[in-house]
Amino acid sequence: MALVVQEIQALTFKNVLRLVLRAWPYYRPQLKHIITYLLLNVVTGALLLTSGLVGNDLLNNKVLVGTPLQPAQATLLFVDDSYVTTGEEGEALTEDQRRTVRNRLFVWAFIGALLLMASFSLVYYYMVWIFQNINQDLRVKMIEQAENLSLRYHSDARTGDAIYRVYQDSATITNVLQQVVITPLRAVAWIFWGVILLTFFSPWLGLLCLLTAVPVVGLFMYFSPRIRVSAQRAREANSDLTSRIQEVFAAIRVVKANRAESEMMRRFDEDSGNALDAAFVLRVNIVLLSMSILVLGFGVVLIAEYLMASWTLSETATFLGGVVSIVGFAYWNLGAYQSAAGNIAQTARQSADVAQIWGGAADLLVGLQRAYFLLDLEPEVTEPDDPVTFPGPVGSVNWQDVRFSYDGDTPVLKSVSLSAAAGTITAIVGSTGSGKSTLMSLLLRLYDPDEGAICINGTPITRFGIDDLRSNIAIALQQNLLFTASVADNIAYATKDRSRDEIIEAARIACADEFIAEMPDGYDTELGERGSKLSTGQRQRLTIARALLRDTPILILDEPTASLDAETERQVLSNIAQWGKDRIVFLITHRLSTIRSADQIAFLHRGSIAEVGNHETLMASEAGHYRRFVHAEAGTDQ
Amino acid sequence: MSETANELVFNDRIDTDTQISSAEAMVLLGRSFALLRHVKGLFAGKFLFALVGILPPLLIPWTGKIVVDQVLLQKPFGESEVRFPPFMDPLIAILEGNTPLAIMGTILTIYAVLLVLFGVRAGGAVTSGLTQGHDSATQSELALSAGSSQSSGIFGVIELMINIRLTQRLANTLRTELFRKLARLPMTTLDDNRIGDSVYRIMYDTPLVPEICFNLSIAPLFAVLGAMISLYLMQYSYGPVAPELVWIAAGLIPLALILTVPLSGFSRRLNQASRASGAATTNTMEESLENISAVQSLGGSRHERERFARDSDQSFKRFRFSFLFGQAMFVVSMFCTVVAGIYVAILVSDLIIGGTMTPGDYAVLFGLYLQLGGTALGIGMYWINLQTNVAAVRRVFFFIDYPSETPGDIHSRLTVQDTIRLDHVSYHYPDGRQALTDIDLEFRVGELTAIVGPTGAGKTSLAYLLPAFLRPSEGRILFDGIDIADVGVDAIRDQVAYVFQEHMLLSESIRSNLLLANPTASENDLRWAIDTAGAGQFVDSLPQGIDTVMGRRGDKLSVGQKQRICIARGLVRDTPVLVLDEPTAALDPETENALVTSLQKAAAGKLVIVIAHRLSTIKRADRIVFLDNGRVRAIGSHETLMADTDGPYRRYVELQTG
Repeated sequence: MALVVQEIQALTFKNVLRLVLRAWPYYRPQLKHIITYLLLNVVTGALLLTSGLVGNDLLNNKVLVGTPLQPAQATLLFVDDSYVTTGEEGEALTEDQRRTVRNRLFVWAFIGALLLMASFSLVYYYMVWIFQNINQDLRVKMIEQAENLSLRYHSDARTGDAIYRVYQDSATITNVLQQVVITPLRAVAWIFWGVILLTFFSPWLGLLCLLTAVPVVGLFMYFSPRIRVSAQRAREANSDLTSRIQEVFAAIRVVKANRAESEMMRRFDEDSGNALDAAFVLRVNIVLLSMSILVLGFGVVLIAEYLMASWTLSETATFLGGVVSIVGFAYWNLGAYQSAAGNIAQTARQSADVAQIWGGAADLLVGLQRAYFLLDLEPEVTEPDDPVTFPGPVGSVNWQDVRFSYDGDTPVLKSVSLSAAAGTITAIVGSTGSGKSTLMSLLLRLYDPDEGAICINGTPITRFGIDDLRSNIAIALQQNLLFTASVADNIAYATKDRSRDEIIEAARIACADEFIAEMPDGYDTELGERGSKLSTGQRQRLTIARALLRDTPILILDEPTASLDAETERQVLSNIAQWGKDRIVFLITHRLSTIRSADQIAFLHRGSIAEVGNHETLMASEAGHYRRFVHAEAGTDQ
Repeated sequence: MSETANELVFNDRIDTDTQISSAEAMVLLGRSFALLRHVKGLFAGKFLFALVGILPPLLIPWTGKIVVDQVLLQKPFGESEVRFPPFMDPLIAILEGNTPLAIMGTILTIYAVLLVLFGVRAGGAVTSGLTQGHDSATQSELALSAGSSQSSGIFGVIELMINIRLTQRLANTLRTELFRKLARLPMTTLDDNRIGDSVYRIMYDTPLVPEICFNLSIAPLFAVLGAMISLYLMQYSYGPVAPELVWIAAGLIPLALILTVPLSGFSRRLNQASRASGAATTNTMEESLENISAVQSLGGSRHERERFARDSDQSFKRFRFSFLFGQAMFVVSMFCTVVAGIYVAILVSDLIIGGTMTPGDYAVLFGLYLQLGGTALGIGMYWINLQTNVAAVRRVFFFIDYPSETPGDIHSRLTVQDTIRLDHVSYHYPDGRQALTDIDLEFRVGELTAIVGPTGAGKTSLAYLLPAFLRPSEGRILFDGIDIADVGVDAIRDQVAYVFQEHMLLSESIRSNLLLANPTASENDLRWAIDTAGAGQFVDSLPQGIDTVMGRRGDKLSVGQKQRICIARGLVRDTPVLVLDEPTAALDPETENALVTSLQKAAAGKLVIVIAHRLSTIKRADRIVFLDNGRVRAIGSHETLMADTDGPYRRYVELQTG
């Protein structure tokens, strides 16, 4: 159940290319390393290939059968000319000579194996390191993007989905180069090289390989769309499952309170089953493709072996075997047979590998598209091109004809105008859902208004840098969100260089100092998950302290005292009034005692400002909304 | 976050002692192995397929030898001193006397049949491997659906399918169990448990269990079986000619174990660190996304980004350590195989040069040797791999073993028709803080009781006792006179609906959120609950009404609206007891009035408890319990309590009204 829907494109060559090109910026910083890695790969690969060919000839034809050496082989093994072939019929190496050749060959093999193992391991480690760096860059970029996306996106998305994208989908980038570019290229090169080499033995073998390509392409065309669809299903199903787990534990109290454990288990089972089925179908599809190609390829190997055996028996000359002096494959013999058979088997295996990789690549590109999807979302709230510095002393804040809706249809704010001056407290009052919190979110640019502007000292806030703006406004949110960290770290969240004294002072103003001091480790007490060990009133005061510590010219308190008892509330508010002498303070509240202390009261009704004034003026208006509101609250009170 | 305190390096708060001794490792392995009982059928299938799959490849070295000696080099059968194994006799009887090309034709035909059926000659083994990332989490996801077959062809595909299902079933059994346990952790433990950590354990730690099961059952069994067959063949055919070959081959397995076993503890620790560090990264990410509005409004984006970058970098680094170690182990064992391999090659080639053996024997012997070497390497690595998995499994079993709430017998006949009585109840938190002292009071059905008191008085703790989120440290709680101390939480919570102060909604439709509380509720029940909670009007104004899908934790609605959905959810359950924690805090006075009126109506025949600060709500309660500092200071109606001029309640009210 993805709330933010994304289309996955077909794996056409063009789309693959586009995805690969998009990965380029993440690869570029590692380019130096990637090139080094590739070169190391090519060098080891070439060494392996040549030494394999020469070793095969030496071992099979020379050591085991006793045929004399080619001149170049003699040089390689540091043996004299008596080992070298003269071209006469029936010549052979002596047993001692064969042993010498073998011993020296094995010395080479040992040295080679040591070097290869060491370099193979190191190159592998090097690769892991490079790709981790690339993945880290992408992950961080995605998190950055997620942090920057407006709350409008976040209110539609599931946290688990983002976790899955950042974790699992982003990891696919490390394989783009490897799986979509290098491995297929290398495999194709191998296959190409294999066909050439076979042609070098006999053009018929080359032709046989080429003919096999036709059914292979058909198989690819049949399976590709199936694999892509199942890959997408698998990733979506897993993302849903991640979301499910995350949400259950984020709302675990509700699950417990409603005794919904078994219902949650049922839903978990369902999601988990879906995810597993999708993974199963994907794997079976991939295996069927690679298996069909493998069987097909080895069918060809069997045919080729029959042909080669008959050529060997009749000692037919190989096609171009004579031209290469380092191996003795001028006519079909044991070594030539082993080499050619090995080659054609290798070619078949490579083709099947390509199929497996192709299946993997489909999954990988689906993952990559999901990762890019997050990056592609345009943050609605954008930085200005040429930001203005936030003004020194703040004189005023104005909302000018602001309109806003979350979904584009249902207006939440309809033409709101309001201004507040330095040194005043403005209370925002109104019924539930009238847009009070939204009004404040716009000031922080958590969203941008659809129409109208918000100005500070006459400058539209869209002209300031976002971080600059937000660092000059402090807000205590209604939800009292805390982080799993110590009390002091929570108060000093996202600030730098605040001394312990400043933190304590902020806590004192918020009337939190007393209960913090009673905690086991005082300010260093670690809060539970999201501060769940505190009572709501305590959390509320911590969020207020956090806002105060930021020492900003503008302060917003969203229902700051809803969970405080009257005595604490009075204390907090009088402290804040004292503290906020030269600042602009906004209070969103229902409480009469709080409202009365404000210099200015703005009454919001259905998305517009119905009345503005102080308590006395507003009460004077007989039919006023505010008067009715106060009576509703006080009528039952007194 | 303090990095100095060792146990907080990965900000784990509960699971802090991560050392595993070898004995504990053995126990964990045993428990993982026992999970196989859940998948007997699939396991038997896998076993049979693997067993049959061993047979066809046995032919290959010998037919290969015939191709070299009898076809290509055109030697007659029986020239070499090496005996063919007995199972080759029928085939040799057919082939003997044929022309080389006819021999070739017969062998290739056999190959072709076996190729389609078993993938013989095609290099065997198929796996379900997809591409993977370079950290523990992404690799685990693949392990969840891992499978392989030593055969390929039609047979191999079927075996693979059985194997994948087997792996999935095993992992799923365990992760369902873990999920159940985590959801059953007591409230006080959940406060300390990080959400990201739970996600990581369920998603990425459990998939490693099947690997343990295989590495303890099928894998070593077939490795040893394969090795024994290879050894037997070597002994049968080559023992008389070159006995030392057999000894070298047999010595490889113990050698690999000697090299790797002493390092297993080290490997375990590296892997534990890699996983804990991955979980820490998940925590950071989850928290920062979940608290996104706080992060953005406090300008903390950069701070969060840096924190994530640091954690993620750390988890990659830990993975690299563990990877490097694995590589080193691989190189060491590989080195031994190569050295032994060269020795084998020298022996064999000497015999061939001396004429005791034919060139075809070289291929057979070397093939057998490679098989054995591979097995030895594999067995050496099994042990190391097991250690890797033990680290993950320990993280899973840790919570499965953690003391949890007992669901108890749902059918036990607990009722609340009359009263709930708290009999001298005290509660103190596990860290020693005293929350409630000697609470002695009675709640009656048909009454609306308000719990009132200053912040931190213990109101929520008191309310938490009723649905057994907390269990009293002293004293008893009686439902209709029955002590609930020994009653399971399910039976208790069937009687009590609790609405929290923080509104927690799932990102699903409103309907689905309500049905969570009571899956059997009818359309009318839902409607009634929504209307009673005063949410009818705005729910109707939503584009899809009750089927509107809410964003993450209901962020599309205002706080007051979410609060009313939560109240509706509490009502849908239709339990005799309803506890509301500050239901009206975020509501404007008119909405509040309407809500309290409908709650009063709903309270007829129920026991309703409201925690409240607002006088307007409190005054309408039938009875008020005034708490301060964890003790009951006064009980009575608004009027009686106000009559006491020196009473704490009157002082409290006066402060409120000013």
